[in-house]
Parts: sequence; C-alpha cells; structure tokens
Amino acid sequence: MDRYSFSLTTFAPNGKLLQIEHALAAAANGVVIATEKKTGSSLIEVSSLQHMVKVCDSIGMVYSGMGPDFRVLVNSARKMAQKYRRIYMEDPPVRILVKELASLMQEYTQSGGVRPFGVSLLLAGFDDRGANLYQVDPSGSYFPWKATSIGKNMVNAKTFLEKRFNGEMELEDAVHTAILTLKEGFEGQMTEQSIDVGIIGTLPNAQDGGPTPVFQCLSPADIRDYLSNIA
Amino acid sequence: MLSSITQAPVEAHSHNRWEPYVDNGGTSLAIAGADFVIIAADTRQSDGYSINTRYDPKAFELSNKTVIATTGYAADAKRLVEVMEQKAQSYFHKHERVMSTPAMAQLLSNTLYYKRFFPYYVFPILAGLDSQGKGAVFTYDPVGNMERTVYVACGSASALVQPFLDNQVGFANQRAADPNRLLDRETARKIAIDAFTGATERDIYTGDWLEIFTIDQTGVHREKRELKRD
Repeated sequence: MDRYSFSLTTFAPNGKLLQIEHALAAAANGVVIATEKKTGSSLIEVSSLQHMVKVCDSIGMVYSGMGPDFRVLVNSARKMAQKYRRIYMEDPPVRILVKELASLMQEYTQSGGVRPFGVSLLLAGFDDRGANLYQVDPSGSYFPWKATSIGKNMVNAKTFLEKRFNGEMELEDAVHTAILTLKEGFEGQMTEQSIDVGIIGTLPNAQDGGPTPVFQCLSPADIRDYLSNIA
Repeated sequence: MLSSITQAPVEAHSHNRWEPYVDNGGTSLAIAGADFVIIAADTRQSDGYSINTRYDPKAFELSNKTVIATTGYAADAKRLVEVMEQKAQSYFHKHERVMSTPAMAQLLSNTLYYKRFFPYYVFPILAGLDSQGKGAVFTYDPVGNMERTVYVACGSASALVQPFLDNQVGFANQRAADPNRLLDRETARKIAIDAFTGATERDIYTGDWLEIFTIDQTGVHREKRELKRD
C-alpha cells in the first residue's frame, strides 16, 4: 500500500502530489468527500477547476494523482453509469460501478503499449445498501471504507479520522469532521476557494427536494458557513 | 407490328417458402392497483384451426415480485422467458439482490430491441410493484417499444378485452366516474375473470384454463380457473 502512495508521487509531472483528499461516510444518510484545491499560482482561475465530479446522480468521485488520467476515468465512469441506466433504468449501485472501473484500470496493467492510470480514486455514493465509500488504486484493487483519506497527508489524516469518526454521525457532523481533517494537513490559510466539498445526502439546502439522494458540490457560501463554525 | 406487342412478365410466386413464425393464439391481461397488480393469461395453444394443447402456461414468475405474460409465437415466447430468467439470475448473483420491476422492464425492452431485425414474435406484458410499492404494468411491442400503463390486454382476443377494460377499469365514456380511481383487489379480479369468460365465448383461440397471478408486498399468488373448452 505504501508503495502506491510513493509511485503516485513519481507519476505527477513535477514529482509532487498537490492534492489531499479526505472522505467520510456518515452511516445514516449520506457521504461526504472533501478535497484541497491547491494551485501553484494565484493567477489560476480556481472556480473552473473541477476536482470533484458527479458520475451520475447518486455517485461522486474525487482523486489523488494525475489530473489528465482522472479526466479519462471520469468519462469512462460516466459512460458506464449511463450504459447501466439504459439497461436497467436505475443508477448503478456504487459497488457495481467500482467493479467495472477497477476492471478497466486493471486492464491497463496487463495490456501492451499502455501504462497504468496514475490516480487513486475515491468513489462516494448512495444505493440500496445505504452510503458507500470506495477507494480504487492504479492496480485495480478496490477497498470499501467507512472513512478514509488519500494523498500527501493520508497517514496523519487517517489517524485523525480513526479518533473522530463514528458510524452514527449525522451528515452535518460528517461535513464538519471532513473539513477539520483537511485542516490538519493544510498549508496556509483555508478558505472556501481552496477546498471543495461534495455530499451525497439530503442536506436542508439540497436542490433536489425529493427522496432520492443526489450528489452535489457545496457552494462556496455553504463552505464559508462551515469554516466560520470551525474558526 | 407483332413485335411491338409485349407481354407483362409473369411473376414467379414462391408457394413453398418456409415461414419462421406461427401464431399460437391466446390472450393475456394485466390490471394495476394502488398496492397490488393482477396479471392473467389463458393456457390454450393453437395452430390455425387445431389445438396443440389445452395447458401451456403463458405467464411466468421472473422473480418474487415480477411476472411476465406472453402471447404470440409460443416458441419465441419460451425462449424470451428463458433469456429473461437467465438475466435475472445473473443480476441476482452480481448485485446480491432481486432486480426491481422497473429495471426488469427496461431490460426486457432492450432484450427485445436487440433482435430488431429478426424479432421475437411475442407481445409481452410485465407486471409487478414499483419502487414505491404501487402496482406497475408495462406493455411492449415485439421490438421493445415500452409503455407503463394501469391496465392492458394483449393477444388474439385483445380487441374484445381492451375496450372492456377501458370502460370498466379506465371508466372511459362514463360521465359520472373518476378515471384516476384505482380498483381494489376483488373488483380487479372479478373484472379480469369476466373479461376472459367473455373472450372465451367469442374468440376460438381463447379458453381451456385461466391462470391469474396477484402480486403484492407478500409475494406472488397464483390462481387457476377453468374456462370453456369449445
């Protein structure tokens, strides 16, 4: 496992890993994923960086590693989800999508003329079994988690989560805990522009008022509210 | 002069061409309620003026919440049901749970369209409970056009049964009735039975036995009743 966190850094073009992703699964009614949006220069238009993506209504994805490789996997994941919808008129359960995506990543470790994807993925979703969180590695191995972290500060972050996480926490608390975990390893000032938080659940300000949980990114205003509570 | 008279070419009519499809007759219907659904089909299998068998069931349980009824060509119907059963099993092993009725409905539509250029000569009806527990009926054409409805009739006596259902279940042409009202179990069952006894009288391909499946949250319940055998 440690070998992979190492090889991920060597894949990045400048030899460094810039992102830290943290995620939490709130047992009752949702999942939270949060990520640091670190940019090398203040000139970069941060709001157009898409770090956290919606694969389908009930599944979101975040990564650690090479951005371009992530984009390819996002397209593959979205296509897989739509193909499933075309056949079953339902969103795929997270574990099913994870298996297919992991299978694709494994192919690239055993085919000629290609290299493995330089990303570790975190997929968060809500399905018939409730809230789910899965990590998928470049080898194609996948792991279900209750709460986890990937990236530069993952060891400390996981220790932090082990103490803080409990299965009965509400979605609001989960967001709070995710942001706190991010703060642990954050260099510099954490503002609503420098982190992204995605949730799957039915938060009070969710756009979709229906019973089906939907993946959505929190707006900067919402993030600012959470940050002000942490101080 | 004679050379200007030309004769129209005589077409070669092929009298011996083998026909891949046969209509084995029979009728099916389904009626959805607020928390149940009824799906019924007769059991007679015919070929022209002959009866192949008096008992060949046309309706099958695909799972503990979904039933499919098939009319048209019996051989294609059998194969279609087999294929759907296999897909249901596959899904069950992969997902570790039973396929929902709307998912089964979409799967059936795709399965039918897959053979768009050599179709299953089958007119399926799929019935079950949707994710809210309400009765759901899905009706198809042989190449997979799908529509969700409250009630439908298919098969050799569909022209007799469908208007009857329109009036008794959909309250069509009834001024003082609420067309959105759903039927209760007993009324739906009686209408289904009456539809078949009526159809049996006038349609030579319908008769012998009737199998009625009732699906609700407790599962699938099957009832077998006799119909006239003439």
